[in-house]
This record gives sequence, C-alpha cells and structure tokens, in this order.
Amino acid sequence: MGIALTMAWRNLWRNPRRTWLTVSAIGFVTVLMIFLITIQLGSYDMIIDSSLRIFTGQLQVQRAGYLDKPQIRNSVPDARGLADRLRALPAFETTGVAVRAFGFALASSGTRSYGVQVAGVEPRFEPRVSTIPKLIETGRYFDSIDAQEAVVGATLARNLKLKVGDELTLLGSARDGSVAATIVPVVGVFRSGVAEVDRHLVQLPLTTFQQVFGMGDAAHAIVFLAPNLEALPVIEREANARLPPNQNLVVLDWNRLVPGLKQLIQADWTTGWFMYVALILVVTFSILNTFIMSVLERTREFGIMLALGTAPVRIGVLVVLESALLAAVGLAVGLAIGVSVAFYFYLYGFTFPGMQELYGQYGLPGVLYPQLSFVSVALGPLVIFGFILLASLYPTLRIRRLNAVEAMHAI
Amino acid sequence: MKSSVSSYSPIRFAKLLLVAALAIALPAQAQDAGSQEARALIKAAIDYWRDTSSYSVAEMTIHRPDWERQMTIRVWTRGAKQSLVRVVAPPKDVGNATLLVGNEMWTFNPKINRVLKIPSSMMNQSWMGSDFSNNDLAKADDLIDQYTHRLLRTETSNGHKLYVIESRPKEFAPVVWGREVETVRDDYVLLEHAFYDQAGELIKKLTTQDIRLMGGKTIATKQRMQRVDKPGEWTEVTTNEARFGIDIASSFFTQSNLRNPRE
Amino acid sequence: MPIGKFTLLTTLAWRNLWRHTRRTAVMIFALALGVWAMIAMAAFIRGWMGEYIHKEIMNLTGHVQIHATDYRDDPSVVHRLPLTTGLLEKTLSEKPVTAWDARVRVPGVIASERESAGVEIVGIDPAAERGLSFIDGAIVEGRDLESPDDPSAVIGRELAERLETQVGRRVVLTSQDANNEIADRGFRVVGIFRAEPEAVETGYVFIGRRIAQQMLKIGDDVSEIAVMTRDRERLDALVARLRAAAPGRDVAPWTEIRPILVLTQKVNNVVLLIWFAVVFAAMSFGLINTLLMAIFERTREFGLFQALGMPPRYILQQVLIESLILLMIGLAVGNLAAWATVVGLRDGVDLSRFAEGLALVGMSPVIYPKLDESDIVASNVIVIVLGVLASLYPAWRAARRVPVEAITRV
Repeated sequence: MGIALTMAWRNLWRNPRRTWLTVSAIGFVTVLMIFLITIQLGSYDMIIDSSLRIFTGQLQVQRAGYLDKPQIRNSVPDARGLADRLRALPAFETTGVAVRAFGFALASSGTRSYGVQVAGVEPRFEPRVSTIPKLIETGRYFDSIDAQEAVVGATLARNLKLKVGDELTLLGSARDGSVAATIVPVVGVFRSGVAEVDRHLVQLPLTTFQQVFGMGDAAHAIVFLAPNLEALPVIEREANARLPPNQNLVVLDWNRLVPGLKQLIQADWTTGWFMYVALILVVTFSILNTFIMSVLERTREFGIMLALGTAPVRIGVLVVLESALLAAVGLAVGLAIGVSVAFYFYLYGFTFPGMQELYGQYGLPGVLYPQLSFVSVALGPLVIFGFILLASLYPTLRIRRLNAVEAMHAI
Repeated sequence: MKSSVSSYSPIRFAKLLLVAALAIALPAQAQDAGSQEARALIKAAIDYWRDTSSYSVAEMTIHRPDWERQMTIRVWTRGAKQSLVRVVAPPKDVGNATLLVGNEMWTFNPKINRVLKIPSSMMNQSWMGSDFSNNDLAKADDLIDQYTHRLLRTETSNGHKLYVIESRPKEFAPVVWGREVETVRDDYVLLEHAFYDQAGELIKKLTTQDIRLMGGKTIATKQRMQRVDKPGEWTEVTTNEARFGIDIASSFFTQSNLRNPRE
Repeated sequence: MPIGKFTLLTTLAWRNLWRHTRRTAVMIFALALGVWAMIAMAAFIRGWMGEYIHKEIMNLTGHVQIHATDYRDDPSVVHRLPLTTGLLEKTLSEKPVTAWDARVRVPGVIASERESAGVEIVGIDPAAERGLSFIDGAIVEGRDLESPDDPSAVIGRELAERLETQVGRRVVLTSQDANNEIADRGFRVVGIFRAEPEAVETGYVFIGRRIAQQMLKIGDDVSEIAVMTRDRERLDALVARLRAAAPGRDVAPWTEIRPILVLTQKVNNVVLLIWFAVVFAAMSFGLINTLLMAIFERTREFGLFQALGMPPRYILQQVLIESLILLMIGLAVGNLAAWATVVGLRDGVDLSRFAEGLALVGMSPVIYPKLDESDIVASNVIVIVLGVLASLYPAWRAARRVPVEAITRV
C-alpha cells in the first residue's frame, strides 16, 4: 500500500496544472457546499428560534390534554410554586422559566368588541421567555405581578381605538364558569409582527388574571426558553423528573407546540439538496475528463506495468488512490477556505439586501448566522468525496480490459 | 376565534325559568296526529309556562365530575320576547344580570359596571358556565314557528295523558338539531325535551324531576339538563318561588334598568 | 478573416474535436449537464414560485380588489360598498378583465350539533367565481352552489370533520347584521371542498351572495369586488381606471395586498442568477482543463503549423472555434434535454414523500416546471460568453511561439 500511495501522489504532480485545476474545481464546490449548508442550517435555527422566542417558548409544562382542548379548567395547580422550584435548580440556571395562564374574553371599548385571548404573565420572568415585553411600541410593560393593568397588541389597539391610558373592558368566563369581568387601563401596546398575536392577544399580570378568572393559584403553562436548542433535551429530562405526581402534567416540546414548523424545514432541506446534488454532478462530470485523460495517456505505462507482472487490480487501486488523493487535496483546500468563510459570517452575520424586509414580515431578524457544527461542515465534503470516487470508477474499470501487449504499443 | 364548546342546543332555557302554572286543565285533545294539533300543543305548553308575565326565584346547580356550583337567580318575563335574569347568590356573582329582548342579549357586570351586548360570536358560549348556551335563552320561542310538529303518540301515566311530539326544524331554521322530541302532559307541563342530531343520535335531554303547585299553577319545579355522552355533567334548576300575571312594564326590560335595577 | 480561412479553421476545429471522440463526448455531456441543470432547475423554481403566487391569488385574493376604505383594517359588515353601477360596471366588463365577482365577506360562526367554529362567511355568485378563485372546481363531494340565490352552503373538508358534519346536514351560520343585531340562519351543506393551505379549508364558508345580503340586511351592498385579468404583472393601467371609476374606494392590486409574494419573487430572481453563475463556474473548470489537455497534446502539431507559416492568431482562433463548437453542441443538447424534462414532467413532480408539511403551509407538494424565456436566454448567454472567455487562456497558450524542441518532442 505504501508504494501505491507514493506512486499515486507522484503521479498527481506529474501534471501540476491539470491537478491544480481539478483541485480548484473540487475546492470551489466544497467551499460552496460548506457555505450554503451552514447558512441553510443556520437559517433554520434562526427561524425556529425566532418563532419560538416571540411567545411560544421551546418547552412547556401543561396539564395533559390542554394543548388539544384548551379549556380553562385544565390547569396546572400551584404553578408559581412549581416554577420557583424549577428555577432554583442548577440545570435551569440559564433558562428562562415563566408561568402563564390563559382565558378567552370579549374585549370592548365603545361600540366594537372582539374576542381575544387573555394571558396572565409574570412580569419579572416573562421577558426571559418572550420577546413581547421588549417589543412594546408605546407605553411600558408591567411593573408588578398584581398590577391592575393590561398590555395589548397593536392591531387590537387600533381596531378598538385604544391608546395608552385608555380603559379596556374584558368580559369572559372564569374557571368555574361564572363571569370574569374587569376594566383596566392599557399601559402598553406591543407589536410582534405576527398578525395573530397583534390582533388577538391581551396580557394581564398573573395575579390579576388569577383573581379575575377565579384561578386560585393555578395557571395553564410553565414556559421554558433556553439560550439555544441544544440544551433542550437536558431541560426536558430535568423538568420531567421534577413534575409532581398525580397531577397529570406533561412536558411538551416545540415540535408539538408549533406543528408544521418542522415539516416546513424538512421540505426546504429536501429541495435544497436537489440543487446541491445537481451542482455536484455538474462538477463531477466536468472533471471526469481529467480522470479519463490521465488514465488513457498512461496506457503504455500501464501496459509495461502489466507486462512486468503487476496485477491489474493493483493498477486499479492506484488510479482510485489518485482520485482519492486529488479529492482529498481539493477538499482540504475547500474546507480551509469554506470554514474560514463560514466562520467569518458566524462572527459578523450574513445578510443580503431585502432580507430585513423579507424576514421582518415574520418578525424575524434580517441577519443570518451559519450553523457551525461537525455535521454542517462535513456533510457537503463527504457527499462530494463520494461522487468523485464513484466517478473515478469509470476509468478504473477500463483498466481491467487492458491487454499488456497492445497497451505497450500505444503512444 | 376558538369558541369553547359547552352547549349548542336551542334548548328553551326560558321554559325552565319562566314557569307559569295555572291550574287550567284544558280538555283532553282529540288524538289527532295532524301537525296543527301538535303545534297547538307546543304553543300551549310554552304559553303556559311564560304566561303573560312572570316572576320567579330559582336555584341553578351546575354539576361536573370534580366540582359543583350553585347560583340563585331571579327571573322576570313579559310576553314571549322579554326577559331579565339577575343573580342574587353567591356573593361573588351577585349583580350579574342578563337582558333578553327578542333575539338580542345584553349582559351587565357590577365589577366593570358596564352593559355589554353579546355579539353573535359569543351566542354559542354557555350562559354563566351552565349547560345552557346564550342561544338557548335568546331563542326561547323559536320552537313554535321554526319547526314543523307532529304528534308521535299518546301515553298514560299516573292518571295523566302524555303527548309525545316530534318537532323538526324547518329547512332554513337557525337550528342545528335534527329533531327534538317533547313530552307534554295534559296539563301542559313539559316532562321531557330530547335533542337528536341529524343522524338520529340522542345528544342531550331536559327532564322534569319535580312538579308542584306554585303561584297558582302546576309547574315543573325541578328540571335537569344532561348530555348523554357526559353523565358526570349536568345542570339542574329548582324553582322555589313563582308568580304569574304580575304587573310589569315594558320599560323594565331596558338596558338602563339592567344597569340600575329598580326592583 | 477571409471566409476561406474561416471555413478552413472551422473544418480543422471540427475534425480535431472528433479525433478524440470520447473526450469530446464527455465534455459535451458535462456542458449539456450544466446547461440542463441551469435551465431545468430554473424552470422548477419558477414553476414552484409561480404556483405559489397563483395559489395565493386564487385563494380569494384575485389580481385586484376593491373595498370600502376601512375594510382591510376591519373586515366587518360595517364597511361595505354598493354593487357596481355605471362606470365601474363598464370598466369591469372590458379588457383586460377576464373575471370578477362581488362578494360579501364577514366574520361569523358556524355551528353543528356538536361543535362551533369561527369562520369567514363568503357570499358569492358561483358562476362569476369561475376563473377567479379556487372554489370553482374545488368541490370533492356533493355539488357547487348553483346561483347567488342558492340557500345552501359549501364548506371545507377539514372544517366538516371538525364539526362532525357532512353533505346533506344542516349547519347554522351566525353573524352581525347591518343594525348590529344577531343574524342567523340554517344552511344545508351541499358540497365539500378541498384547498390548500389547511387554513382555507377551515376558514371559509361559501353561501349565495343574495342570501348573505338578505341575512345581513345589507340590501345590494357587498364587502368586496375581486377582479382577475390576463396578466398579473401588468395591472397599473387597470388599477388606474378602476380607481377613477370607483372614487373614494380602496382599489388595491395583489402586490399591495400580499407584498411578501413580490419580495419572495425578487429574492428568487437573484437566487437564480447566482445559481447560473455557480453552475457555470463549476463547468468551466472542466472546460478549461479539457481544452488545456487537448492543446498540450497537440504541441507538436501546433509547432508544425507555425513552422509551415500559419499565423499564431489563426491557431488561437482555431482553438476558440473548437471551444465554441463544444459549447454550442453542449448548449443544444442541454437545452433540448431541459425542454424534454420540462415537457415530460409537465404533469408535475410530486414531492409529497419528502415534505408532508408543505400542504400545511400552503405550498403545493407538486411542482410544475415552467420555462421562462429570460432564464433560457440568460443561461445560454452566460455559457457562451463566459465559455469563450474561459477558453481564451488555453487558446492563448496554444498560439504561443513553439520552440523547435517542442516539435521534436514525443
């Protein structure tokens, strides 16, 4: 093997220009793949993250069955107590944990009324699981957990013709079915960019909500938001372990909370690969000639080797090794440049004109960060390597048909 | 908008509350299966309950598998189209009131001190958490004109003749039910009202469990509304006091009175 | 260069190419593959994008919408406009309008025996919706509405399932009428439709327009007028005429109602151009390599030509012509292959195995490729121009003064 490797390497450099051109081709495609894949995966991370950060969170503890049928009676008992206990654990040190309660009510001001979702939140912890407190357009967020105040979405405020300081009337059903009613001043108006949220969401401080809707100390969800998605499995395990028994509580991850997001990403990933494979094919065929040429022009040489007793299979191995080394060099160059480029954007972010507008529509930032991981970086190169090896099989197979005597007569 | 689904039947809640019992035993009708007769029976039963006007005090018990709640309410009615309900107990619900004029509904809540009109989107919601929806209260007398009726059979029980009537909603009636079956006694007390979906399956039933003399009439004083698929959930209304043919003005049934009770 | 010489060089170029059949064939194949990838991919992306936009437009958006001024902010019965008369009617009956309908669109509640749901009630003239929106032809069970006076309702499959109802049953629709009073009525479900995204199946209930007007007590008024034309990219003139014919109304083209589509289209164009460049770059390595190899193995030959008196520039031109022939054949084959692919897959490529979630968000899992002339022109131009440019280096190398030793090289 050692001899074959040395020979393969030296063979490559017998024609430096050809080798370099091929290496450049492979390098070019490798850089492209690394860049595109890391950006694509980074964009998914961003889309998931951004969608979840607005309000849903990455994980929620709820009463079993609440997700499918959100009835106000399906509540989590002593929610604040449970949340406090979880927060104190070291595993949740960097994770935001906040309690929420939900109810349905009629919001009215003057002659118009709209059905809205009312969410009771913990003002101190809510900013760590949702971006809405930071998206306040006018006014401010809540100061205390029992303040008699409300925060509403911008579209709802516009439809009800409410400004900061105006009174909002809420009329709904309490947990035991009796009337839940209150009038509170609007202290803040938020704009999340998500139409559903801006049109239908009203927030109250948690204790106020619990009083108005007769919840006692119960709520409906404990929301978790970790700095990134990788930490999620650990958090899920810890939360599951700490759930009080006999309360029929479940831990739900974002796949269940926002179905469709995962499939959307899968779809994009699949269509992306159609394009990548097409590109790799083009390059492979493009350099196929190089391989063929480099075998054909050495017909005489191979003929002599055969005549001297080399087994045809060893020549085949030689050729394959050449291709492999060629690919390796190309990949190495490509990796070096590709990773640098990806790293650069990792530090400074990637954006193109119009991106802010396009993503802003969904409340997403206009900057992308590539996902740097072993998989994201190695995936492209691995596929390229595979294709190139396959391509090198064609000339290799021709060698088997070589007849030593005829070969030696070739020019 | 997601509406919480609790009750969706045009069950005549008003019939429960507006119990009017005059001991007028109309002569037993001829056993005529014609729809005119059946319709007349239904109309008579409803008229019997609502009377020209009424006042009653009732206790509503809402029962669920894991809890139970009780409310005391006062009800005034005038003719077929006007009703006012006020909650007088428990203390946290006191002052809540509902006004019905025609098909429209307003609610008053002392905490917010506002009269709010119930929009169409909330008409399917339950009234005060019970098994009756806002629609049930508002569309009390739809039963007469929006359906075609037919007498199914007559039975005898405890010395009374019972008329079992089937009512089918007319083609464009705003009624979700396939058909409803009422059992009316010969003294016009409603014994049972059953609701079937359009495939013929029984969904819910209102049953009279106690009949007494009150305010001069024999009326159903205890009625229970129950869904067939949820045996642990029901609402029961027990009437403790009733007066009929009282003197009450139309101006009683206004939004301003809803807010500032003069009674 | 005199024609005679041109013919000579071309003949030489042509014969040279076919001296190494396999090499030339592989190169042509590589070029064709690249060109195919450019055009076919572009066709799929365009087709997908076009489909997406088309779907959005058919989901009741239309090409142009006319409303009362505040309707888009607050789509309720309060903001309505009277049915068309006079100038507006006339404008709508002329080209380029191909279809239009006046609709009642208000929020409401639909209820069955077991469930109720918030929906948008859409009162239409079913005949007018042909060619205007998805509802014509979307029925999978039962029948369409027959006229604006049809007292029945047509609902989506998903909604029917949620309500646990079916064709032949009655549902109750409730809404607010013009006097802010409850308006409700029973409707027999006569048809079930399918649509994407799922939100359309659960969100819209179609009834006859006149019935809707009666139920809501709005006389002859409607909520919107939706218009379809021949070309969704050229609406300015029509919009201007409609605005003149309907003063005081909100007349908006789809680009205003769904600006995100326009933006996505623009981004797509950029992406495609980049794709072309990238594919070409990938091909060019092979092209240059092959040309260089061919040239080096003909050093003796070129030396001989030079010794015989051929000007170097002829050699350069000959090589360029060789390259040009390669490119043109490659282009021809590639274009043909792309065209064949598009025609062969005209009935669409079904991606549903790979992407179940697409239907959820309204993207059809079936892609219909669509050839766009500008894509074909762009890709061909890029390949020829850049191809020739890339060949300059090898051609130049070939034309350099060849030392005598080279002629004697083996």
